[in-house]
Amino acid sequence: MDKRYKVQVKDLHKSYGSNEVLKGINLNVKPNEVVCMIGPSGSGKSTFLRCINKLEEPNSGHVYVDGYDIADPQVDINKVRQNIGMVFQHFNLFPNMTVLQNITLAPVQLGKMSKEEAKKAAYHYLDLVGLREKADANPSKLSGGQQQRVAIARALAMKPDVMLFDEPTSALDPEMVGDVLEVMKNLAKQGMTMIVVTHEMGFAKQVADRVVFFHDGDIREQGTPEEVFDHPQHEDTKNFLDKVLNV
Amino acid sequence: MQSNHWKKFITACIAVLGIVIGWQLVEPQQASADEPTYTFATNNTFEPFEIQDSKGGYSGKNPGIEIEILKKIAKHEHFKYELKPMSFNGDLQALESGQVDAVIAGMSVTDERKQKYDFSTPYYTDGVMMAVAKNSKITSMKQLKGKTVSAKSGTSAALFLKKNQKKYGYKIKYFDSSNTMWNDVKIGNTAATFDDGPVLQYGIKEGVPLKIVTKKPIDAQPVAVGFQKGKNLELQKKINDGIEWLNKTGQMKQIIDKYTKGNKTAKNSAADRTIMGLLKTNRAALLRGLWMTIELTIVGIIFAMIFGIILGVLGIMNNKLAKGVSSVLIYIFRGIPMIVLAFFIYMGLPNVLGHKVPLFLAGVLTLTFDEGAYIGAIVKGGFEAVDKGQWEAARSLGLPYGKALLQVIAPQGFKLMVPSLVNQFIITLKDTSILSAIGVMELTQTGTVIISQNMEGFKMWLIIGVIYIIIITLLTWLSNYVQKRMA
Ligand SMILES: Nc1ncnc2c1ncn2[C@@H]1O[C@H](COP(=O)(O)OP(=O)(O)OP(=O)(O)O)[C@@H](O)[C@H]1O
Ligand SMILES: [Mg+2]
Repeated sequence: MDKRYKVQVKDLHKSYGSNEVLKGINLNVKPNEVVCMIGPSGSGKSTFLRCINKLEEPNSGHVYVDGYDIADPQVDINKVRQNIGMVFQHFNLFPNMTVLQNITLAPVQLGKMSKEEAKKAAYHYLDLVGLREKADANPSKLSGGQQQRVAIARALAMKPDVMLFDEPTSALDPEMVGDVLEVMKNLAKQGMTMIVVTHEMGFAKQVADRVVFFHDGDIREQGTPEEVFDHPQHEDTKNFLDKVLNV
Repeated sequence: MQSNHWKKFITACIAVLGIVIGWQLVEPQQASADEPTYTFATNNTFEPFEIQDSKGGYSGKNPGIEIEILKKIAKHEHFKYELKPMSFNGDLQALESGQVDAVIAGMSVTDERKQKYDFSTPYYTDGVMMAVAKNSKITSMKQLKGKTVSAKSGTSAALFLKKNQKKYGYKIKYFDSSNTMWNDVKIGNTAATFDDGPVLQYGIKEGVPLKIVTKKPIDAQPVAVGFQKGKNLELQKKINDGIEWLNKTGQMKQIIDKYTKGNKTAKNSAADRTIMGLLKTNRAALLRGLWMTIELTIVGIIFAMIFGIILGVLGIMNNKLAKGVSSVLIYIFRGIPMIVLAFFIYMGLPNVLGHKVPLFLAGVLTLTFDEGAYIGAIVKGGFEAVDKGQWEAARSLGLPYGKALLQVIAPQGFKLMVPSLVNQFIITLKDTSILSAIGVMELTQTGTVIISQNMEGFKMWLIIGVIYIIIITLLTWLSNYVQKRMA
């Protein structure tokens, strides 16, 4: 494990039955770095992301977050997860709670903050995503874009130092996408370490420090946005970009 | 639901659990002093041998021949006794399992039974008689070919019918109580019924519209107290000494005559037999039965919920052993008919435990396991129906499994379960009536007892049916109210 990296993935393998979905992935993410992951459907991007906070159990390999090996049974995975925020494609807000309760639940339950502190923090993050006035609303009363911004606020309330995003805008109506991406851009500007699976090539070009191209359970190519988008080296990368950029 | 609601709910459950267990532990210990106490199984609808009062006890003026005999003997021989009224089959099972010390239930002494049980000195001679509806043209067994006849299961009448079935070519239908059986003849479902002579005579004297067509009792047999073979010899001796003393002093004849001759036991037949009148006369008994039904339902539901939630939570855990335990228990308890489970707990379990299981506890345990298994399946299904994304969101925030389950999954799952749970609660209420089989004096059993006294089957069952409908309606309203408040 290397202290310079926030997230370090070493030779990660994951199979579902005989279907090998991740074929030995290596990836290092430095503090404050924004990594965008692109690639065709089924190439293993989500699986990779979910291995980082152990929502999926890897078959072999190591994932270090903040120096803790999540594969190590001695490591309290719940502690590690508190430092990894995750945002899902389908938001997954808790429908039995208000927006505010969604955000304060984890900090209060895990003893990170008192109820009062958590409430204050919640309003702070709701300000950040521009939804203060929705604090007492039920999630089902919000638009998709608003729900996703609440989900981001919920993840931020745990004060994580890494944020994982799995296609956060692909379930949204086009006019909602901009607001969510705006929030993510601001986060990146403030120095959050982020790993983002996305089909928003514009966002990747503009915000990413590094673009990683996944293909068939492997990292086929990676580099700065200019390198990957403007001078792709690999045939698979070219094909993929042709398809997504020239629709 | 918020976390403190949960805490309150769980605290309440534990409190109830404590109270019930405490009560159950204290209750059986109140027996006193140096006189030994024996337990007798008896028959709850077997006049003139046993006649329950409206509370299901035998403290009335005319508790029946055998009860009066037992009372006198106990006093004379210095022992105390406790009576367990059940169906005759239940009596025999209870004796075999050692749940009771003896059976005093108009039990006739047959050769077959002599091999299995010990008997006291007989105090009565009993024979089977055949009765038909008042307007029936049947007068002898030869006319029964192809017809349906009835007897109480396990009785000597049943043995007699079985033995002669080929000869006369009838079909046999078995019943658990005389009253239902007679009613079946009255309404024409069965052509003839075979029952103990004195029982029939007594019933007809009390107004049952049947007539006896046998001149002399068939298969006359002595009646005696039954014991487990070779056991309780001390009690056997006391009973025999007591019978001898009663015979010698002429008290035996007095008691028997009181019930079979003249009109001494006749209840006020001028009593009001309208539905309102029946309600008034039996108000206290019905209320007690109703209360027992409600008590069983509430306590049963609470424990079944606890058991069911445990089963449900085990069933969704990421642990093969937990999952296996859950599904095996659900499979077993859903598979066993509740009446079998009740018999097992009340009469089978004491053999393993070495001491008796109090009746109420047996009832609650039966409900807990049977209804709990169904609730377990509902809870498991409800939890599983919650979107997987909810688990992932909760866990990704760092919430441990238990907290994620309690705070996020369970409230959503319960909301999905509510309609099925309400349905199960109503079934639980109805299922309490099955516990009448082991003699719990709930509403149904109360009805059986009352009808055995007043023979008003139609009206009484109508009353009891309506009472059930009313409490089920109330329960449904209550559930809907809770459901609305949760939404
Ligand atoms: N729980 C699972 N069980 C079995 N196979 C799975 C499971 N989850 C994913 N897979 C398979 O793993 C492969 C990679 O899936 P993954 O979701 O990681 O792809 P992806 O790159 O995120 O695709 P998309 O862009 O469509 O989201 C696919 O073939 C998928 O069918
Ligand atoms: Mg995906």
